[in-house]
Amino acid sequence: MSWNFETEQFLIRLPVSDQDGAALFKLLSQSSAAAHIPRLPMTVEAQALDELRRIAMRFETREAAFWLIERKSDGEVVARIGVQYINWMMLNAQLQWELSAECGLEELQEVLPVIVNYLSDDLHLHRLEMRLRTGSDDQSKLLTALGFSHEGTLPSQMEFEGEDIDLDVYSLLKGELNI
Amino acid sequence: MKFTPELEIPGGCIKPLHYDDIDGLFELYKHPEIPGQRPLQDKEQLNRMIDYSVQMAATQRGMMWAIETEGQIKGMVSGFDWQPSNLRIVMRVDGLPQLTVEERTASLKAAISFLSTKYHVRNFAYQWIEGQSDDIKAALSECGFTLAARLRDGWRTGNTEFSDVEQYHWISSENKPVPRKLGDDDELGQNLNANKRGES
Repeated sequence: MSWNFETEQFLIRLPVSDQDGAALFKLLSQSSAAAHIPRLPMTVEAQALDELRRIAMRFETREAAFWLIERKSDGEVVARIGVQYINWMMLNAQLQWELSAECGLEELQEVLPVIVNYLSDDLHLHRLEMRLRTGSDDQSKLLTALGFSHEGTLPSQMEFEGEDIDLDVYSLLKGELNI
Repeated sequence: MKFTPELEIPGGCIKPLHYDDIDGLFELYKHPEIPGQRPLQDKEQLNRMIDYSVQMAATQRGMMWAIETEGQIKGMVSGFDWQPSNLRIVMRVDGLPQLTVEERTASLKAAISFLSTKYHVRNFAYQWIEGQSDDIKAALSECGFTLAARLRDGWRTGNTEFSDVEQYHWISSENKPVPRKLGDDDELGQNLNANKRGES
């Protein structure tokens, strides 16, 4: 079973722990990439290496899988998309993405169907959920355009920079992806 | 050490799970309230659950109480998916048909009050699964919970069947605990500048 895929313009591949540190750092050091989660941007490359190791361990235990979206034309990593908190009993998981400015709706419409179809057809997941910091309008528009439905807002889910954070819940059921 | 206290409710109490109550708990598990959950066949499995209930409380991952009124185990109230750093937890009540809305409400309130006071948990969630009794919603309303989200097909009830989940929340109005450094307290072992009376 291969976890690496390809579209016309992109490679969708699992990261390689000792090779992708610089590319991941470049993506996750952009404050806009993870503000919707919310998470602070990375400040040193060692954080990216640590994250790669962590993700590799979580992948080994089939708890999460994260893919790097690499543009074929120049090798640039334009996004990271993954699933975590996979519940194999309930057949659901949380989707998470970190997008660079070069990854918008058009690019997502090219790569997301490959990932979603894999999760649904091969891993048999029925429900994908994404949680966004309330007020993440750009991300919210992308999700809605892709077919996700807004289900409500979970209050005070975490504290971030001294503020209580509410998270909006969006979901996509099998067959709902809009491309 | 005892991590789960016995707490009074009108007509009875909520109390830690104990091996002596295994028959009552087995009766409860033979009548699951959750859609798709099969009745328990093997009573022996409850021994392991009681062990887990102690470990969960000791490691702050969850807490489980039996609901006892009129001398009978009528249900369980539990907290799970406890996230101490985020001061939140998910609550759940499982009851036999004879557990009244009032008993359900009182049990939930007692557990929440304890977790809120002792551990400063502020955010309590409850997931009501489509197909469950409306009595649960009545109890939630009585405890001050409000609907936050409806998770479509959030609960699997069969091979290809799913039910929606309504997620309710109640947020305590208590102030958050103020983080302190080691030595800020009057504990001599940590405060090297304090004398034996605890004065700095």
